[in-house]
Amino acid sequence: MAAQTEVLTGFDHLSDQGRVSLRGWALRGLLLLPVLALVLALPYQSDEWTNDAIYAAIFAMVGLSMNVLVGYTGQISLGQQAFLGIGALTAANVVNTGTTAADPFTFAIGILAGALVAAGAAVFLGAIALRIRGLYLALVTLVFGSVTADAIFTIPSLNGQDAGIPAYRPTALQGNFAFYVFALAMVVVCIYIDVCIRRSKVGRGLIALRDNELVASAFGINVLGYKLLGFVLSGAMAGLAGGVYTFWSQEFSDKNFTSGAGFSLALIFVVMVVVGGLGNRAGVIAAAAFFALLDPLLTGFAHHTGWLTWYTDHKQYVQNIIGAVLLLQTVIFNPGGLGQVLRPFTQWFSGKRFSLHAEGDAAGAALGGGDSVRA
Amino acid sequence: MSVLEVHDLTIRFGGLTAIDNLSLAVNEWEIVGLMGPNGAGKTTAFNCITGFYKPNAGRVLYRGQDVTRVPPHRKAAMGMGRTFQNVGMVKSETVLENLLTAQHTKAGYGPFLALTGASAVRQRERDLTAHADAILELLGLGAFRDRRLGSLSYGTLKLLELGCALASDPDLLLLDEPSSGMGPEESHELGDRLLALRQALGVTMLLIEHHVPLVAAVCDYVYVLNFGKLLAEGDPEHVRNHPEVVAAYLGGEAPEALEQTEAPAEQAAAAEELADAAPSEPASPAPRRGLRRPRKEAS
Repeated sequence: MAAQTEVLTGFDHLSDQGRVSLRGWALRGLLLLPVLALVLALPYQSDEWTNDAIYAAIFAMVGLSMNVLVGYTGQISLGQQAFLGIGALTAANVVNTGTTAADPFTFAIGILAGALVAAGAAVFLGAIALRIRGLYLALVTLVFGSVTADAIFTIPSLNGQDAGIPAYRPTALQGNFAFYVFALAMVVVCIYIDVCIRRSKVGRGLIALRDNELVASAFGINVLGYKLLGFVLSGAMAGLAGGVYTFWSQEFSDKNFTSGAGFSLALIFVVMVVVGGLGNRAGVIAAAAFFALLDPLLTGFAHHTGWLTWYTDHKQYVQNIIGAVLLLQTVIFNPGGLGQVLRPFTQWFSGKRFSLHAEGDAAGAALGGGDSVRA
Repeated sequence: MSVLEVHDLTIRFGGLTAIDNLSLAVNEWEIVGLMGPNGAGKTTAFNCITGFYKPNAGRVLYRGQDVTRVPPHRKAAMGMGRTFQNVGMVKSETVLENLLTAQHTKAGYGPFLALTGASAVRQRERDLTAHADAILELLGLGAFRDRRLGSLSYGTLKLLELGCALASDPDLLLLDEPSSGMGPEESHELGDRLLALRQALGVTMLLIEHHVPLVAAVCDYVYVLNFGKLLAEGDPEHVRNHPEVVAAYLGGEAPEALEQTEAPAEQAAAAEELADAAPSEPASPAPRRGLRRPRKEAS
C-alpha cells in the first residue's frame, strides 16, 4: 500500500514546499476534461438527455442545500421539498408568464424571489427548530414539509386554480441545452457559496455547533444565530433550485410536492446527502446527480434488456430498494459516504498530495453523535 | 478594580444548592486557583461565571460591568476564554481548523460578507491562519497542524485546548483542570507555561486544579470550595495548612488530620496524594503511593 501511494505521489509533481508545479496543474486540467465532457457533451447528444441532466443539476442544488443544513449544521430536515416547492411557487407566480415567453428581467427577479421567500420560510422553520433536536426536530420538519405543501401549495389562487401555473422560459433559454447551461451556472453559484461557507468563520461556526453547542458558544459563536443562519442558507439554496425546477418543467403544479410525491422527494433528499457523505461537497453532488438520473438510467437499461414493461410497473419499488441498499451500505460500511471514496481524488485535484490515507470528514457526528463535553 | 468579581452567587438544582453564597475576586495579572473535592461545585461555579448556567441569586462583575445574564458567546467576545474539564474542541476538525474556529470573535468580518468570498475575507483568513500557526509554534504543536483531533493523545488535546482558549487573545482565562491527564513532568511544564503566558500576554487566570504542586507553583491566591460553600481562601501555603481543607480532602475529622501537621513535609505529601487521587478514585491504592514518591522528591 505504501509503495503504491509513493508511486502515485511521484506522479504528482510536488515541489519541496508541497506546491503544485505548472505541469502538475496542466495534468489535473487534462484529467478534468473527461469529467467536463460527461457534464457538457453528453447532455448535448439528445434533448431527452439534456432534460435529465437539468433534473440532475436541480438535485445537485438541493443536495448542496441539504449539505449546509444536515452536513455542516447537523440539523436533520425531512421537509426540504417544501423549500423547493416554495421557490418554485414563488418564481412561477412572480413571473406569471401566461402563454408567452418570460421577460428576462422578470425571470431573474422570479428566480431571486424564489430563493428569498424560501429563505424567509426557513427563518420560520428555523425559529421553531432552534430549541429542539434529534427525533423531535425530524418530526417537526416532516410536518412542516407536508403542511406547507398541503396548506399553501393547494391554495387555488396560487397554483392556477389547481390546473398549474405555466412558467415559460425567456427566449434565450428556450432550448433545453441553453437552459441546462443556465442550470449549471446556478449550481456553480451554489458551489461558490458552499466554498465560501466552508472557508470562512461561517462554516467553522456551523460545524462547531454541530459537534458541540457548548464548545461553540465558549468559542464565541452565537449558537442560536448560526443555527438559524444554517437554515436560511439551506432554504435559500433549495428555493433557488425550486425556481430552476419550475422553469425546467415550465409550470408549477402542486401535485409534485403534496402528500406522497412530496414525501418521497424528502426521503430521496435525505438519502442522497447521507450516501454522498455529510459535509462533503463533491460526494453530495455526485450522489444527488446519481439519484436524479436513476430513473432514466434504469429505464434505458430496461429498454435494452426487454424489461421495460415490468420496470415501468415496478419503478417505485426498484428505486426505493436501490436507495435503501445504498443507504445501509453507507451507514454500515462507509460512514463517510461517496465523498470519502472520492476524497483522495478531490484532494489531489485541489492541489494536495494524492493519499489513500486521507483522514475523513468524521461528519457522522452530525446525526447525533455522542457529546462527551458537558458544561 | 478586579477583573472578575463574584458576589453571593447561589444556584440550586431542584432541592440541591450546588453553590451557596459564593464570593470571590480575581485581580489583574493574578492566577487564582479554585480547589475542592469532587462535587464541591467548582465547575458549576465556572458555568455560572461564563454564562452557561443562570444563577438563582448573586452577581458576576467583569471589569466592573454586571454580566450575570450575558450569554456565553457574548462573554467570549468580551474577552472571557474558557476550557472544559474533558476537552472542549471541535472533534471532527483538524488542529488548525480548531484554532481558526477559536478565533471566531476576532475574525473581523460579518457572516454575510463571508458568503461573497470577498478578498478582504480571504486576507483576514490568511491573518487568522498565521496567528494559529504562531500559537502552534508557541506550544510546540506544529507537527500536529493538519491532524484530526481523534488521533491525538489526551495531554496534547489539553494543551491544544489551552491554545484554542488563547487564540482569541482573552483578557481573562478560566481553565477547568488544565493538568488532568498529564503526567508529573508535563504538569510541571504546564505550570511554567502558565506563568510564561501571563508574562508574555498579560492574561489573568482562574483555574480549577487538583494538582497541589501546580497550584502551589502558579497560584497567587486560592479559594477552596466544599459542598458549594467557600471553605477557605488565602495564599496557597495558608490554604494547604488550613485544618478544614485538609479535613475536607481526607474526608475525616479535622483533629485527626491536624496530627499530621507535626511534620509539615509529611502533611503536605499526604494532602497532595489524596488531592491527586481524589478526582478518579477516592481510595488510593498502595502501589500508586510507591510510584509517586520519587517524583515528589524530584520536584
